[in-house]
Amino acid sequence: MKKVLGLALGILTAIGGFLDIGDLVTNAVVGSRFGLSLAWVVVVGVIGICIFAQMSGRVAAVSGRATFELIRERLGPRVAVLNLGASFMINLMTLTAEIGGVALALQLVSSVSYLLWVPFAAFAIWLVIWRVKFSIMENVAGLVGLFLIGFAVGLFLLGPDWGELGRQAVQGVSTGTEKVSTYWFYAVALFGAAMTPYEVFFFSSGAVEEGWSVKDLARSRANVLVGFPLGGLLSLAIAGCAAVVLLPQLISVTALSQVMLPVAVAGGKVLLACIILGIVAATAGAALETTLSAGYTIAQFLGWPWGKFRPPAQAARFHLLMIICLIVGVGTLMTGVDPIQVTEISVVFSALALPLTYLPILIVANDPEYMGKHVNGQALNGIALIYLVIILAAALAAIPLLIITGAGR
Amino acid sequence: MTSNTDDQAGPWLDAQLHLLDRQVLDVDGVPVAVVDDLELSEVPVGQEIPIDTPPPVITALLSGAALATRIFGGRPPESRMQSTPWADIAEIGVVIKLGVQRDTLDLAWTERWVRDRIIGRIPGGRHIPQQEHDDDGGES
Repeated sequence: MKKVLGLALGILTAIGGFLDIGDLVTNAVVGSRFGLSLAWVVVVGVIGICIFAQMSGRVAAVSGRATFELIRERLGPRVAVLNLGASFMINLMTLTAEIGGVALALQLVSSVSYLLWVPFAAFAIWLVIWRVKFSIMENVAGLVGLFLIGFAVGLFLLGPDWGELGRQAVQGVSTGTEKVSTYWFYAVALFGAAMTPYEVFFFSSGAVEEGWSVKDLARSRANVLVGFPLGGLLSLAIAGCAAVVLLPQLISVTALSQVMLPVAVAGGKVLLACIILGIVAATAGAALETTLSAGYTIAQFLGWPWGKFRPPAQAARFHLLMIICLIVGVGTLMTGVDPIQVTEISVVFSALALPLTYLPILIVANDPEYMGKHVNGQALNGIALIYLVIILAAALAAIPLLIITGAGR
Repeated sequence: MTSNTDDQAGPWLDAQLHLLDRQVLDVDGVPVAVVDDLELSEVPVGQEIPIDTPPPVITALLSGAALATRIFGGRPPESRMQSTPWADIAEIGVVIKLGVQRDTLDLAWTERWVRDRIIGRIPGGRHIPQQEHDDDGGES
């Protein structure tokens, strides 16, 4: 019974933890401009993150080593330092976007400017990292994040023409009145939102934090393979809501309030309150994950003691680094930069940085010195290689598309 | 390159493959550093080396500034090298284990400094997070 409950908890956490500010904003933007014609990207992205998370979780559980230790061992210091620089900067940008997301959501409840919420949000995030047990932190954020199911409820309440939505979803590439390059720009952004690199740093380091062994592999696989696709369905519900309400009115999403607008139309105040709670939990959860990931990457590269399972004093530089990252994030937001724009750019850069972490994990997952008999099977390697091509293509296309489309404008 | 001077006995180690960029743990399994570079015993430069001279041996694992000089070239002054003597190594595997405690090593001074001056002074900095609510035993 306890096992079943544990499995259910893991799956629910994975659903709630799948979505972050990048998914919320990008799906709503895409839904309001392209309907569901980019739904296939969400499907591709979800399968990709399942493979990636499963592989890095297995590497961490079998070898007891986290991602960046392995990246340095396998690629040597020069390549690893470039890799670390890129991954760390993009992670910092995502962290900034997530804190901004928490503050924006709190602004909607309180009508106090989000700028005033930013320091409080960052302080609360630091406090959780400082004090709260790892598993409690993960479960609470994931479970409260489940309130985002409100988007699916909203979509049903809107009573859309399901046939029309289905037609949009299966017709594939259709740009409508938009340019082809804009369509592909948002395809890359949506892919980057689904497969954010920090999820993998967090997932593999979290496996070490929770002391996973080979025994825990089956459970982790179930969490990922059931939880992430359900999280992906919620992504589609967000896009669907925007497609039904915002697309016909030609409202383009530039603020978090517009992401929630369709839900308010459909379900009134109660549903809106649920969604806001869900957004606060999801963005706060992702802010925790990105802050920890910032610490994980550098500490693992330099061989410092790291992890929430140690008292902060036993991982002093790790904790100092995270404090500095939070301060940098707050400072960036305080300049008045629009958090939604930071989010939109960060998902594109996520797509750009993805090969840097994907390739080393794929190599180590095939290395018997680390993995023993738990190396990748042939079928998994086949799919993983197809994804390597997709990930490389998205990374190569990211910057040219960003420039050609002027960031999708 | 071998870890021992005797060509006949002992396991072979490839410095690039088995030593460089490996995680170093102390006797309690706490991370200490990563092997950023290696220090070799003195090799005479510019002189002819007699045929039966023993090959140079690794005298220490280097960390800290050695990472920058390994990537960009050059050499830090002797006093700036954060080295762990080869004799302290207990075991070489996927990670390198030392036979001494981290706090006895010079190279852990930054970690100690940050701990004593900053993190240890923030309230709650020394509590053990995992044990606080762990009343459900070994369930993980």
